[in-house]
Amino acid sequence: MSSTAMKKKVLLMGKSGSGKTSMRSIIFANYIARDTRRLGATSKNTLKERFDVEHSHVRFLGNLVLNLWDCGGQDTFMENYFTSQRDNIFRNVEVLIYVFDVESRELEKDMHYYQSCLEAILQNSPDAKVFCLVHKMDLVQEDQRDLIFKEREEDLKRLSRPLACTCFRTSIWDETLYKAWSSIVYQLIPNVQQLETNLRNFAQIIEADEVLLFERATFLVISHYQCKEQRDAHRFEKISNIIKQFKLSCSKLAASFQSMEVRNSNFAAFIDVFTSNTYVMVIMSDPSIPSAATLINIRNARKHFEKLERVDGPKHSLHMRMR
Amino acid sequence: MQLLLFKSKCIHVFLFSFIGAHTLGKRMTSLMSPALCHNVQRNACVMPYVPFHVEPRNIVGDDPQERVSAEAAILNSRVHYYSRLTASSDRLLSPPNHVIPRQEEIYIYSPLGTAFKVTGSDPSSKNPSIITIFAIWNTMMGTSILSIPWGIKQAGFTLGILILIFTGLLMLYCCYIVLKSPKAINMDTSDWEFPDVCSFYFGKFGKWSSLFFSMVSLIGAMVVYWVLMSNFLYNTGQFIYNYAHNVNGSDSEFGTNGSVICPYPTTEPGGNSTISTLYISGNDTSDGSSFEHWWSKTNTIPLYLIVLLLPLLCFRSAAFFARFTFLGTISVVYLIVLVTIKAVHLGFHLEFHWFDTARLYVPEFRLLFPQFTGVLTLAFFIHNCIVTLMKNNKHQENNVRDLSVAYLLVGLTYLYVGVLIFAAFPSPPLSKDCIEPNFLDNFPTSDVLVFVARAFLLFQMITVYPLLGYLVRVQMMGQIFGNHYPSFLHVLVLNILIVGAGVLMAKFYPNIGSIIRFSGATCGLALVFVFPALIHMISLRRQGLLRWPSAIFHSFLILLGMANLLAQFFM
Repeated sequence: MSSTAMKKKVLLMGKSGSGKTSMRSIIFANYIARDTRRLGATSKNTLKERFDVEHSHVRFLGNLVLNLWDCGGQDTFMENYFTSQRDNIFRNVEVLIYVFDVESRELEKDMHYYQSCLEAILQNSPDAKVFCLVHKMDLVQEDQRDLIFKEREEDLKRLSRPLACTCFRTSIWDETLYKAWSSIVYQLIPNVQQLETNLRNFAQIIEADEVLLFERATFLVISHYQCKEQRDAHRFEKISNIIKQFKLSCSKLAASFQSMEVRNSNFAAFIDVFTSNTYVMVIMSDPSIPSAATLINIRNARKHFEKLERVDGPKHSLHMRMR
Repeated sequence: MQLLLFKSKCIHVFLFSFIGAHTLGKRMTSLMSPALCHNVQRNACVMPYVPFHVEPRNIVGDDPQERVSAEAAILNSRVHYYSRLTASSDRLLSPPNHVIPRQEEIYIYSPLGTAFKVTGSDPSSKNPSIITIFAIWNTMMGTSILSIPWGIKQAGFTLGILILIFTGLLMLYCCYIVLKSPKAINMDTSDWEFPDVCSFYFGKFGKWSSLFFSMVSLIGAMVVYWVLMSNFLYNTGQFIYNYAHNVNGSDSEFGTNGSVICPYPTTEPGGNSTISTLYISGNDTSDGSSFEHWWSKTNTIPLYLIVLLLPLLCFRSAAFFARFTFLGTISVVYLIVLVTIKAVHLGFHLEFHWFDTARLYVPEFRLLFPQFTGVLTLAFFIHNCIVTLMKNNKHQENNVRDLSVAYLLVGLTYLYVGVLIFAAFPSPPLSKDCIEPNFLDNFPTSDVLVFVARAFLLFQMITVYPLLGYLVRVQMMGQIFGNHYPSFLHVLVLNILIVGAGVLMAKFYPNIGSIIRFSGATCGLALVFVFPALIHMISLRRQGLLRWPSAIFHSFLILLGMANLLAQFFM
C-alpha cells in the first residue's frame, strides 16, 4: 500500500439552488459568503441557473474529500463540460450524495441529470455508495410529506438500478438533516457494529451514563450508548451545534478545539479526541469520581479503539495520524 | 491544546458562556433562549439530571408547566448556530415563516429569568408608506436634476412647466401599468421584476431587448457621471489652486460680477463693448500656466479619473458602495438649499415673450421642447425596479397612492429647482440662453457654496459609479455568460469599454443635456412606452377586457414614445 492515501471523494451534487451549499455549510460548519445578493432596489438578479463548481478542502472521516458540484443550467454548456471532465469528476468516488429539491418543477430534467451521474459512477467508481436526499421538505405540508417522499423514493430506487440508493428526506429546519447525514456516516464506517459493541463495554466498565462517538469534522453521532432513557431526543444535534459554534469561535483565534470538561454538582461530561476519525463524549452522573480517573480510562480506551480501526478498514487507516 | 474547565453551579451558565456573550446582542427578537439559573442557592438548583431544561420556577408566572417545548429548544439551537454561518445581513439561513411558531407562542426570555411576550409586527421587512415613498423619491432623483433648468430653457418657460407636469403624469401612468403587470400572470411572480415580465410575454426577444434598453439607461448614466465627475473634479481642483495661490479667478469670466457666468456665450455682445472680447474660461487659456495645461477639463482630468475608478470597477462585490446611497439624498437636499439661497440672492428676472425671441429671453413656447421631454424621460425613470421597490410596502393596497405621491414629490422637486434657477437667472446682463445643461456650470469656480456642492456631488458620484458598474456587469455577464464574474479578463474588458466611452464623451462631447436626452428617449421607448403598453393590451385581450378606447389610448402611448425618440434626432 502506498504511504500517501488516494484521496477518495464524497460528491455532493444536485441542481443549482437545491440547497447544497447551505447543507454543506451547516454540516461542516463553513462560513458562507454571499455577495451577489441584495443591492437595494436598483437591480434584480434573476440568475437562478448557473453552472458552478466548488471544491472544498473539507476532510471527512479521515481521508475523504468533499466535492460539491452544481448540475443544471445551460444545457449545452453542461453536456460539454460533463462529457469532457466526466472521468475526472467521477473517478475515485467513495460516496455520491445527490440532492433533489422537492419543490422543483422540472422533475424530468432532474431525473435526467441524476441518471447521467449514475452512469458516470457506474463507469468510473462502481463501488460507490449512492444516497439521495429529498431536500427542503419543510416547504411541503405536513400531512403530505410522507406521501410525497414515498413516491419519490420509489421513483429513485427504480431509476437507480442496478445501483442501490438509499433515500432520505431532509430539511435544514428539522432534525431530519442531522439524522440523514448521521445515517450516511454510519454506513461509511466499515466496522461500525464492532465499534458499537466495544463502546457499550467501555461505557459499562467505567460506569458512564452515556457515551457518544462523534465524527471528527462534522460532529455527527456515529454511535452511542445510554444506560437509561433520556428525556431530550434532540440532544445530539444540540451538542453538535454547540461544539461547531465553539469551533468557529476557536478558528477565529487560529486555535483548534481538542478537548473539554464540564462539571457541576450533578454530573461531569468529557469531550475528547478519540481515534483519528472520532471524538468521544462521556457523561458520568456520579460527580464523586475524580476527573483524572475518567480521563485515564478514556486514554486507555483510545489505544484499544485505535487498534480496532487499524486492523480492519484498510482505506481508513492509510492516512497519517492527525496529532 | 485547550482544556477548559468550568466549575459552575448550574449547567445554564455553561451553555450561556459557551455560546458567547456576543450572540446575546443579536437575535434578541428570535426565539427563546434557555434562561439563566441565577439562583445561587444550591438547593434551588438541585434537580434530577435534565440538560437543556428551563426551570418553570424561574419564569415569570405561576404555571407549573414548562414553557419551553422540545421543538422550540432545538429550533433555538439551530437558529443560534445558523446565524453564525452567514453574514448578519444575509437572509439565506434565516428561519422562514412557516418554521417559526405562531405569534402567541413566542416569548422572549432574558438570561435573568424574566419573560415577556412578543408583540407586534411581522419580522420580515415591511415598510410603512412613508419609507416606500422616500425610497422611490431617492431612487428617482438622479443627476438629471442638474439639467432641468436647461430643459425648461429649451422648451420655453411656460411650455416647459406644462411639459414637466404632462410628462410626469404620463410616466406615472406607465409606471402604474408596469406595477400592475406581474399580477395578471398566473404563475408565482413574487420575485419577478419587469424584465422578467417582458420575457414572459415576448420570449427571448423580450428578455434580450429589455436587457439591452436597461443597459442603455445604465451606461448612459455612467457616461453622464464620467462627464460630470471630470467637470466637478476640474472645478474643485481649480478652486483649491486659486485659493492656495490667492488668485482672483473671476477676472477672466464673463458675468455679473462673477456671481453668475456664461461659460460659452453666443454672439450677443449685449451692451458693454468690453465684454465682447469673450473667451471660454477654464479650458485652453493659453497663458502658458502649466497648471492649466495639466489640469484641463477635457484633456487630462478624464484620464486621471481612470486611475481612480477603473480599479474600483473591478471589485467583485459592490456591497461596500451600497452603504453610501444616503449621500445622494444629502446632495439633493443641499442642491435645493443652494438653489433657494441663490434665488433669494439674485431675485427674479422673468419676462414673458410668447412666441418671439427677445434679445435676452427665450420665447415661452419653443420648438426645441422634445429635448426637454427626452431629459424628463430619464428624470422620471424608475420602471425597471419599481416592482421590487413596492414589494416591501406594508399596505399593498396603497401602492398606487404611494406611487402617485412619490411622483408628485419628485415632480415638485424638479419643478422647484428648474423654475427657481430659470427665474433667478440674471437676464439683464446675461441671456437666458446661457443656462447650461449642468446649471452648476453657470457659477464661477470661486463660488464657495457651489464649490461645496461640486465637491459633495463628486464624492457621491465616485461612490455610486462602481455600483452602477456592478449592475451593468451583473446583468450583462449574467445573461451572456451565466456567471457574474466569469474571469478577471472579461470583467476588465467590459470595464475598459464603459470607461472608454465615458472618457471619449468627456473629451469630445461633454454636453450632458444631449447624453441624457438621447439615453432617456431610447430606454424610455422600450421600457416606459412600448413594452408596458403592449403588455397591458395583451393581458387585457387575454382576459377579454380590451375595449376600443383603451386600445387606442395605449397605441397612442406607443406612438408618443417613438415620436419622443425620433424628435431627439431632428431637434
